[in-house]
Amino acid sequence: MRIFALGRKVIDGWALMGGLVLAVIVLVNVWTTVGSLIGLPFAGDVELTEMMVAAAAFMFLPFCQLHRHNVTADIFTSNMNPRFVSLLNGIASLVALGFAALLLWRMTYGMLDTKEYNYSSTILSVPLWWPYVPILVSLALLFIAAVITTAEDLFGAS
Amino acid sequence: AQDYSLKLHHFLSERSPAHQQMLVPWAERVEELTEGRVDIEVYPSMTLGGRPPELVQQARDGVVDLIWTLNGYTPGLFPRTEVFELPTVFVNDPTAANLAMREMFDEYLAEEYKGLQVMFLQAHAGNALHMVDADLRSPADLEGLKLRTPSRTGAWVIEALGASPVAMPVPELPQALSKKVVEGALIPWEIIPALQLQEQTDYQIEGPDMSRFGTSIFQVSMNKDVWESLPADIQDAFLQASNEEWLTEVGGIWRGADDFGINMATEAGNTHVVLSDDEYAAFEGPMNGVVDRWIEEANGAGLDGNSLVEAARAAIASHAE
Amino acid sequence: MEPITLGLIGLAVLIGLIALRMPIAYSMIIVGAVGTVSISGYKILFSQLKTLGYGQFSIYDLTVVPMFVLMGALATKTGLSRDLFRAANAWFGWMRGGTAMAAIAACAGFGAVCGSSLATASTMGKVALPELERYNYSPALATGSVAAGGVLGILIPPSVILVIYAVLVEANIVTMFMAALIPGLLAVALFIATIAIYVRLVPGSGPAHGASDKAEFWAATRGVIPVLVVFGIVIGGIYAGLYNPTPAAAIGVFAVFVYGLIRKQMNFETMAASIKETAGTTGMIYLILLGAELLKIFMSRAGVPQAAADIAVNSGLSPMMIMMILLLALVLLGCLMDSMSMILLVLPFFWPVLVAMNGGDYQMAEGSGYGMSTLDLKVWFGILALVVVELGLITPPVGMNVFVISAMAKNVPMLTTFKGVMPFFASELVRVALLIAFPALTLGLPALLGN
Ligand code: NA
Ligand code: NA
Repeated sequence: MRIFALGRKVIDGWALMGGLVLAVIVLVNVWTTVGSLIGLPFAGDVELTEMMVAAAAFMFLPFCQLHRHNVTADIFTSNMNPRFVSLLNGIASLVALGFAALLLWRMTYGMLDTKEYNYSSTILSVPLWWPYVPILVSLALLFIAAVITTAEDLFGAS
Repeated sequence: AQDYSLKLHHFLSERSPAHQQMLVPWAERVEELTEGRVDIEVYPSMTLGGRPPELVQQARDGVVDLIWTLNGYTPGLFPRTEVFELPTVFVNDPTAANLAMREMFDEYLAEEYKGLQVMFLQAHAGNALHMVDADLRSPADLEGLKLRTPSRTGAWVIEALGASPVAMPVPELPQALSKKVVEGALIPWEIIPALQLQEQTDYQIEGPDMSRFGTSIFQVSMNKDVWESLPADIQDAFLQASNEEWLTEVGGIWRGADDFGINMATEAGNTHVVLSDDEYAAFEGPMNGVVDRWIEEANGAGLDGNSLVEAARAAIASHAE
Repeated sequence: MEPITLGLIGLAVLIGLIALRMPIAYSMIIVGAVGTVSISGYKILFSQLKTLGYGQFSIYDLTVVPMFVLMGALATKTGLSRDLFRAANAWFGWMRGGTAMAAIAACAGFGAVCGSSLATASTMGKVALPELERYNYSPALATGSVAAGGVLGILIPPSVILVIYAVLVEANIVTMFMAALIPGLLAVALFIATIAIYVRLVPGSGPAHGASDKAEFWAATRGVIPVLVVFGIVIGGIYAGLYNPTPAAAIGVFAVFVYGLIRKQMNFETMAASIKETAGTTGMIYLILLGAELLKIFMSRAGVPQAAADIAVNSGLSPMMIMMILLLALVLLGCLMDSMSMILLVLPFFWPVLVAMNGGDYQMAEGSGYGMSTLDLKVWFGILALVVVELGLITPPVGMNVFVISAMAKNVPMLTTFKGVMPFFASELVRVALLIAFPALTLGLPALLGN
């Protein structure tokens, strides 16, 4: 389906953007280390790294679901009827779908609390609801990825 | 039989002085005062899940009933209480700070603890300097050195003294000190035994009469709904278990843990430097600058920074020995 | 219900779900979430989910994981693996079984810049398998040595699993990386010895070929310099205490990237492929991490870890027996789960048991259950557990390294590969016995470098 093709593109692109976030983390840490060795230390690297890795890791989840990187033990089912195996895979995709919806709902409240109570980072006072924005987008995309894999597993859509 | 079974969640190990000497005894006080109708189970080391910064939220949401946490884990949440962390506001007396926070609580602090019923606030004995090999006597000796910061205001103190604050998780500190990734740390003596800091540092430095460079504030808080569901006599028991006499005892517990730490360092051959009045005076100028910076920021956030500082200083003075 | 009963039911459901192809992460999430709700109600779970994900994904000590994964992914694209193999083959190739030994040595070299077994097995497989075939090595020895060599990816630091272990038991990552080095080199030595014995017992399985000439020998040997430089910068820098693991890993990523640029191997395609590889692995690891935390919440609320420790202490079994039982349990679980999931799943239960058997968190060597301080026990058990869970990568039924190599060597039946790794499995058992008998193999280097 065309709409699925678009979904796949967006999810892959989102993972690449997560890779860019990682690249920024690399640069921040290299810069901090070199700066520290030449007498120009920067104290915000720990909190920036934490925030950005959290965002990047969430940004990778839809990609992981779409390309089925989540480890399964398939030894017990490898000799079963392929249609039964597809059904099992479909159930797993539905679980991912439910999980994405639940977490999207709960973490939206997480972001609102974080904003309302003014959670912020220690040294740079960066508001901690900022990383929640890409995280919530990631969870919405995880939901879409799970819709796509469910359709593949249960209805053979591609 | 127990009518109320409550969970108290915190981030330190069950072997820490905070757990053994303060939290468990406090829970026992409550249990005794309620003649066993309340049972408090203390869960150390984040065993009920999550990371230390989530503790406040866990208490607000009722994930757990009670928490003990460091206010500094959630910077931005308790801007008023932060005044008690400041150097020259907190001087040398955790008991006085504990009592002062109690005195000021209703009028000045309560509104930032929404969703929580604070049992008590407490300070540790105060941040001091642990140096690998710098036997320093003046802020000039700190120029250009890197120090591990304990908190937001701690970072300001380090900056004001001419050094650079470095943030790092506590468990990495011994390694960082031994390889001089940082030349020192600003933390209380009480941490020495847990991290074996006497092995990585040679000098422990504080001001005259145990004067320190600021402190950190901790809270024991209960979920507000749980609190309101308790009958008046049980609530009274909690208030009595956390009364001024208890706050004084808590001050003593933290002073004791701090003394234990510095003794361990000196017995290992470390030098315990107590700055003279004159030497310490040179630190006070920069530290007053930290207070000014804090007032400015507080005013910017719509608080009355000046009156908070004045009230805190006055309250601490009135409770000092 | 008794805590242990609840815990066992949870474990049974978990295994059932995993057997029914539920991803391991989601199996943990389901059991943890449903279990927590059944004990404490849904409100607590829903409230905790508001911030639990962010909290787990932002753990500073874990930030090295995506870095090391990215470093390994970039390294596979730079031609490092080919250079390593060429050098090793110049050193060993003239001996009987020498090219297989070269594959092992090259795996060890690649493991020094890569934190994962699968990446090491697949990268070195691509390079070494065609060469082993060209020199007429027996399919069993060829595939077996690359599949076994892959585990060196995790045994030689850096090692992603070791990072996870350190975070779980609050050990120092640097100490763990120091402790892993000698056992890792021991594995290399034993694997090479295994090949030497094998080619004598099975004549014709690993023919020797002519020694390379002097010029080729030195040209090939120069190929290891980049790996030595990266390993020196990253692990050397960590050992020397120049910087902490996260900045070290970042510098490693940067160094490998620059090397790739110099070798003209970095373009949009290779970078996008590296990021996608990193995305797949990192996403998988972090989701398992979240699942394991939910499972921990359920088990803690049920009181399982404490109950398990009490049972162990009151069982009358000796500390060493308990250790053996736990290690055996890891081997058995290895039939079902990947090593990461296993470590995350069992440590919250195994570690309190060991601490209790040793005499508590602050136990010193004197009078302890294992003859060492609990601090040392943390390090020693971590390495033992690492070795044992990695055995699962080369044993049936789920042997991920074997699967990866089988997929690459299309003309070799998987059974042949499993047979091929058996001698290496035996040498791993020898190594486990050595590490148990001589804790100094593990604890010596951290003690030496530590102060
Ligand atoms: Na490695
Ligand atoms: Na296996």
